[in-house]
Amino acid sequence: MADYDVTFIERDDTEARFLVRGVTPAFANGIRRAMIADVPTFSIDTVRFIENSSVMFDEQLALRLGLIPLTTPLGGEFDEDDTVTLALDVEGPETAYSGDLVSSDDMVQPAEEDVPIIDLKDGQRLELEADAVLGYGQDHAKHQGGVAVGYRHLQRVEVVGDRDEFRDDEPEIVRGVIETEGGELVPTEEFDNDLTERYPDSEVEVHDVENAFVFDVETDGSFDVDTLVQAGIDSIRGRAEELKEAVQL
Amino acid sequence: MMVPVRCFTCGNVIGGEWEEFKERAREGDEDPEEVLDELGVERHCCRRMLVSHEDLVDVVAPYQ
Amino acid sequence: MSYKCSRCKRDVELDSYGGVRCPYCGHRVLLKERAPDVKEVDVE
Repeated sequence: MADYDVTFIERDDTEARFLVRGVTPAFANGIRRAMIADVPTFSIDTVRFIENSSVMFDEQLALRLGLIPLTTPLGGEFDEDDTVTLALDVEGPETAYSGDLVSSDDMVQPAEEDVPIIDLKDGQRLELEADAVLGYGQDHAKHQGGVAVGYRHLQRVEVVGDRDEFRDDEPEIVRGVIETEGGELVPTEEFDNDLTERYPDSEVEVHDVENAFVFDVETDGSFDVDTLVQAGIDSIRGRAEELKEAVQL
Repeated sequence: MMVPVRCFTCGNVIGGEWEEFKERAREGDEDPEEVLDELGVERHCCRRMLVSHEDLVDVVAPYQ
Repeated sequence: MSYKCSRCKRDVELDSYGGVRCPYCGHRVLLKERAPDVKEVDVE
């Protein structure tokens, strides 16, 4: 196997930015697609309305419930199409929040507690039971664990001379992460995405670094970023091994 | 009606930020730009979800 | 068929002879009540 080199530039629970060297553009895109479409998450799929006297229709509320992220353990505890039941019972005047959902399984809980579902007025009531299903992003966007997953080339900035003294004051905008001649990795937000801020007196050239990609990954809260990236890569590896076995005699 | 749970474009969950945004920028007198920055709503697709939203539940409630 | 009168809020039973009219207050606007059974909805 080829040698990959992964460097994290920013990293916390729900957001990360990392550099991968030594992958082809096709493989980089494969990682991106795997993180979006092939990492399963729990999401509400069927709702049974026992009472709904709110101002919104059952179908509208069901759609909102489906979009609420639910924490999803990916350690093999659940298989595809496994269901977990959640219940909600709120009586007005009060707002029903995602945190009011009561889950039958401690591991599958609303990832955010304060998403308003519906504002209930005096005398209105919402009582329902919902089945959450473990599904894949390729089947429905509500099952996507990765949000705004993307990548760009790493850009190398080289100083090629002094800047003309009487040049126009035009900004040179770059976005993503640059690599300086010293090999330092600098996110462009640090200099306001403008190279003239960082190199005020030099003429610079910017080139894409071959086979080096900077990934931006965010999760919707179903799991942390590490889990998402790992699960995406595991899914590629799993399919590669399946293919290898299938073509062997 | 109610705030969308997620951003239409990128799918980021923004519903949870609405009540604070409403309290501080709509009903309060803080600058919406600063409030959104503090709430961590970074992309302009997510920001427009909150900036352009209007609660209509109170308007339709009497006609139930 | 069970309805609710929109003026006096009383439950009204309609048959095919009486026409659309509340027998208690004569109001002609009747609202159909939501069925009491559980409704199952698929999230799409």
